[in-house]
Amino acid sequence: MEILHVDHVTKTYGKRGEKQYQALKGIDFTVNSGEFVAIMGASGSGKTTLLNLLSTLDRPTGGRVLINGQDNSSLKDNQLADFRSKQIGFIFQDFNLLESLTNRENIALPLALSGLTPNRINPLVNKIATRLGIVEILAKYPVEISGGQKQRVAAARALVHDPAILLADEPTGALDSKNARELLETMADLNHKDQITTLMVTHDPISASFASRILFIKDGKIGKQLLRNDMSRIEFYHSLIYQMELAE
Amino acid sequence: MIWKLSVAGIKSRLKDYLVLFSGLIVASMIFYMFLTIATNPAFLAKDVYARTSYVNFIFIFGIILLAIITFVYLIYANSFLLNMRKHDYGMFMILGAKGKRIGLIIFLETLVTGILATMLGTVLGFGLTGLISKLLISRLGLAIYHFQIILPSAILGTFCFFIIMFFLGAIWNVHKLTKTPIINLLKENQKPTKINQKPFLRVVETVFGLILLAFGYQVMTWSSTKIYQIIPTALITIVSGSYFIFNALFSMIIASLIKKESFSYRGIRIFTLGQLKFRLHEYTRILTLISLLFALALGAITVGLNFDTVKEHAKTSTYYDTIVVSKAAAVNKEVAKLNIQNQQTYAYKETHKYIYFNRNEFVRQPLKVTKFYLKKDEPMYKVENLPTKKLDVPNTDANIALSGMIINGLQKIIRLVPANKWQNLQGTKKMITLLNVKDFDHDYPILMKIQQLQLKENPKYSNIYEASKPNNYQLLLNYSSGFEFMGFFLGIAFLTMLASTLMFKVLNGASDDKIRYRMLNQIGTRVSLLKRSINWEIGILFLLPAILGIIDVLFGLQLFRSLLPDPYHNIWLLFTIFIILYVFYYLLTIKLYKKIVLSCN
Repeated sequence: MEILHVDHVTKTYGKRGEKQYQALKGIDFTVNSGEFVAIMGASGSGKTTLLNLLSTLDRPTGGRVLINGQDNSSLKDNQLADFRSKQIGFIFQDFNLLESLTNRENIALPLALSGLTPNRINPLVNKIATRLGIVEILAKYPVEISGGQKQRVAAARALVHDPAILLADEPTGALDSKNARELLETMADLNHKDQITTLMVTHDPISASFASRILFIKDGKIGKQLLRNDMSRIEFYHSLIYQMELAE
Repeated sequence: MIWKLSVAGIKSRLKDYLVLFSGLIVASMIFYMFLTIATNPAFLAKDVYARTSYVNFIFIFGIILLAIITFVYLIYANSFLLNMRKHDYGMFMILGAKGKRIGLIIFLETLVTGILATMLGTVLGFGLTGLISKLLISRLGLAIYHFQIILPSAILGTFCFFIIMFFLGAIWNVHKLTKTPIINLLKENQKPTKINQKPFLRVVETVFGLILLAFGYQVMTWSSTKIYQIIPTALITIVSGSYFIFNALFSMIIASLIKKESFSYRGIRIFTLGQLKFRLHEYTRILTLISLLFALALGAITVGLNFDTVKEHAKTSTYYDTIVVSKAAAVNKEVAKLNIQNQQTYAYKETHKYIYFNRNEFVRQPLKVTKFYLKKDEPMYKVENLPTKKLDVPNTDANIALSGMIINGLQKIIRLVPANKWQNLQGTKKMITLLNVKDFDHDYPILMKIQQLQLKENPKYSNIYEASKPNNYQLLLNYSSGFEFMGFFLGIAFLTMLASTLMFKVLNGASDDKIRYRMLNQIGTRVSLLKRSINWEIGILFLLPAILGIIDVLFGLQLFRSLLPDPYHNIWLLFTIFIILYVFYYLLTIKLYKKIVLSCN
């Protein structure tokens, strides 16, 4: 089942009559339910622009994006916000946790937003916290925990409301290699065991090697894709490096 | 090159600069305005009777308070400037600019911004002072004639004060920036301090705060003879009490609201409450200061405008509106214009030593007087008939009152005789007419004219004139107008400063909050919900000091019981005007804040 369908999406910056810049030049791809897809590209390749469109924060100039079969192009700002709160989970590079709230409150926020009552919120928070191994730190504030734990809290916040798709923007960018690896393993595990559809944007080959499929983006276009199939993570990583060297 | 970059940096943030600049202009404008009043020699000497040490004390106290709040305000405005430029300065340093050179730029930028704002503020201050003084004088019907709008000493004072402040600010900015590592200039440390206060301690602090406040309020009900003990005691107890209340009680309420999940887990309430919890911790000192200033500002306006009631004093404390002794045509012409409610005419015969009245006339129309008495420390008045029997008994109240109403009454002996005897007496026959008009305020100019004409005709009328109702009214009108004028100016000055300080404090944190609002929007919070959250958050920050300030004023007005007939007169009207101005600042703050934090959404 298709969770994400990107249909010939273009994005042009600059007004008509002025100098224009085309950041995305017709992107087509789909992500199926339970897939873990990485979009890999260098700086300026258009991956942030693409992520903004996928996450409905920005609107495409041409083409359409369907999430869970729904086209968002006609939705108004408030409807888009509601859509994001139900269908999308976000993990940001620098966690973006609210320092003024405890970790539990941070995780509960998307549920409170969708109007759930506390007696429904708390079991869901506990469930995802148990799954991500962060129960002990729920009462603490973000400032009191490590970077790795922060990103787990962020992941819990992204997943607690059971979104259709998890969007991760360089999720390991602010982590050391040990914590980065742990997080990626958790993401892969969530994808594998809980069938959480994940789309990760990264420039880092190690991160990308945790995905089951890698799409390369360059100059606003999707180039080739790399499938993991039955390869181990290490094999997939080497194959990825090889592909990258070939491309240079 | 660095200069070019600096100018380009300012240009790119012109809107933020305009906020800062207008804030500084307002500060210098208000400061000038107040100095103009406080140092206006002719106005003080002729309109306010400033030679009394009491009034001098009020003015000096006012200037000191205004200087303190302006100082605090400038600290916040300055840190707003620094926050705004921090990133640019960091960039210059990365580009290789030397610390010394950057230091010079920061120094000059701060100083030039300050001086320009002061210059503009002072010039605008002329206009504002002129406008407000005219408005007040005409609107309130104040008797102010010697107010000078452009005052060199005030210009000099404003300039000296602001230049010294900006000079200090510039030194502080250079010190702060050159000592901060470049990386921190470029990427701000956004970690808030952790609040780890034990609930028990909070309860203790709250109780302590409440006791201090209660004691402070109690102190203000002491007799006003102890004024020099009352003011410092009340100041210390109320300031520290407010501090504890902000630090403990309000945080405790918010913490308990957060804990009450059925309340906090709705929309982004939990976020709003979390923001408030940290804000309150960070804002304790400034909120204490603001609540106190709010009280002072409101108090100044209330007391000032309530001096209006002092002149009412004159109206009730004397019974007859005027005394007519002259038969001149000019006087009669003016009397004819009056709308008379009560008229008592007595004839008397004056000899070398005695003044004889017909007793029957006083029996028929008794002489009236307003008596003053205290009821629970409150001044009260009642109208009484003077006992006719005592009118000619020397040194009785009745005799003294009657003597004061007649020309030569104090020099000669008054006698009341039966009608038949009076008819046969020798002596110059004279008349005295005591009048009450229907509307004193309306007829006041005519009454004054009647008195002045009589004084001109006969200098001996001066005794009657000086004790008369129109004259007392005139004196108190001058006295109260000066206070009204000062109270209003001082109140507005305080309010503007305190509200601007709070505004800058809120705006200073806006750039850090931007990322939070962006994230909330990304995870699907409607912009309308974010706006509502901002309205609440900043609204509560504005509301809390206002509530405490209003309570402070309600108790603080007790201090003026002996000075004013009713310190609480028209208080709600004044509060309303004040609150409208305060709400205006709140709306301005949320508008600017939203512009900063929601710009990315």
